[in-house]
Amino acid sequence: MLIEPSFIHDQLSMTDLEFNTCVDDYSDGVYRFILKISKNKEDARDIVQTAFEKLWVNREKVEALKAKSYLFTVAYHLMIDQLRKESKILMTDSFDENANAITQSSSELKQLLLAAINNLNPTQKSLILLKDYEGYSYQEIGEIMQLSESQVKVYLHRARLILKNKLTHLEKMSA
Amino acid sequence: MINKNNYETYFMSYIDNELNAVERAAVEAFVLTESKYAEELTLFEKTKLHASSNEFIEMEDKIFLYRFPEMQASLDSDFKKSLYRKEAPVRKIIFTPNLMRASLAIAALLILFIGVQLFKTNTVIKEKASVVSTNISSTNSKQTENTILPSNEVNASLNNNSAVIEISQPVNKKINATDNSVNEPFTASKIDIEKYSSSNLINSNIISSVESQSPSLIKLHEAQIVSNSMETASNEETKNTAVIPATYKEIDTEEEDRTINIGILEIDGAAFRGITRRVSALLKRNKIEKEK
Repeated sequence: MLIEPSFIHDQLSMTDLEFNTCVDDYSDGVYRFILKISKNKEDARDIVQTAFEKLWVNREKVEALKAKSYLFTVAYHLMIDQLRKESKILMTDSFDENANAITQSSSELKQLLLAAINNLNPTQKSLILLKDYEGYSYQEIGEIMQLSESQVKVYLHRARLILKNKLTHLEKMSA
Repeated sequence: MINKNNYETYFMSYIDNELNAVERAAVEAFVLTESKYAEELTLFEKTKLHASSNEFIEMEDKIFLYRFPEMQASLDSDFKKSLYRKEAPVRKIIFTPNLMRASLAIAALLILFIGVQLFKTNTVIKEKASVVSTNISSTNSKQTENTILPSNEVNASLNNNSAVIEISQPVNKKINATDNSVNEPFTASKIDIEKYSSSNLINSNIISSVESQSPSLIKLHEAQIVSNSMETASNEETKNTAVIPATYKEIDTEEEDRTINIGILEIDGAAFRGITRRVSALLKRNKIEKEK
């Protein structure tokens, strides 16, 4: 269930130009964020479309400066709804299956990391993506994901510990 | 302050850029104290995703997300109202196949009922009494043979059960007007039943009672009449027996050909044909309407 974000204000209006600027600046980011988690291009596109549709409908209430946060919030909740609907937990690439092909090169390390991230649950994955790709603060992530700042910090640290342990394990195997 | 127990939390906050300048400096100083902490920090840094340029994902069909002023153009409300159309009323189909079947069944039952009614009526009307003989013992009035009693006297005699009205045969049997075998034991006069009926001499109750009698009962009546007449003749020799003359009327036997016999039912052909004609005309009309 989508909860209306707290950054909707009355008496503020987004112009057509500002809206189109938002499309230019944030559509790729939102799309990437959703695609990384859902692993489905069609779903990601639909979610982005819906998020921008909602932004347009509420353009008179959303401040232009907070449009990015609004878009991510809407997209995140739509994605969660979608995942619940499909009852699927995306584990596209198993970490263990790729373990034998590990090398220490940076590109391969990144693939390894991405595979490890795919093993995280959607919330942890969203936290990592919002933090690392989008550079949101704990507070902003909390607003987007409807979590408190301390919760964001705890969940994110837990996710990083999992990733660190995976990487340590792989390094030992390759050594 | 950072120490051996909480360094992991500081390291993660460090890579998340959530520490202020003082805290960052403290972490960097802590790492320098032991090499294992430096390795640990490196491992945490490896868990951080870095979006590279070759990994850039661009959304396709982004053009559909843009909004243009033309997209907000709306029609004038008056013009919109002129576009409204009233929904055509839904025509009810009256003659569905089931309804058609039901109406046909009702019509068939109605025809059957009318047929039965007509049959009953015709039976009553066409049923001819061949002989109506009465043996009236009248002590007060002396009447000569072959004289017809006045209507009031006949009624009186019928009421006190001294008269016997006899219907010799059903309608479909031809009655010989000259055949007096039935009436031979006594003197019977010819009575026109219709005449009596029209003159109210024989009321409908009597007719219905006669009608309900079976041929065997009729024969019994005949025997009774004979015995009664003989007793009367022997006992009262001096008394004059007043016999109501019976009138025989020849039945139109051609009507027999116009009747339709279905099992035990006898239906008037002309009436039946009229009904069938009406039903066929009704069905034809319905068919034409349906085709239209």
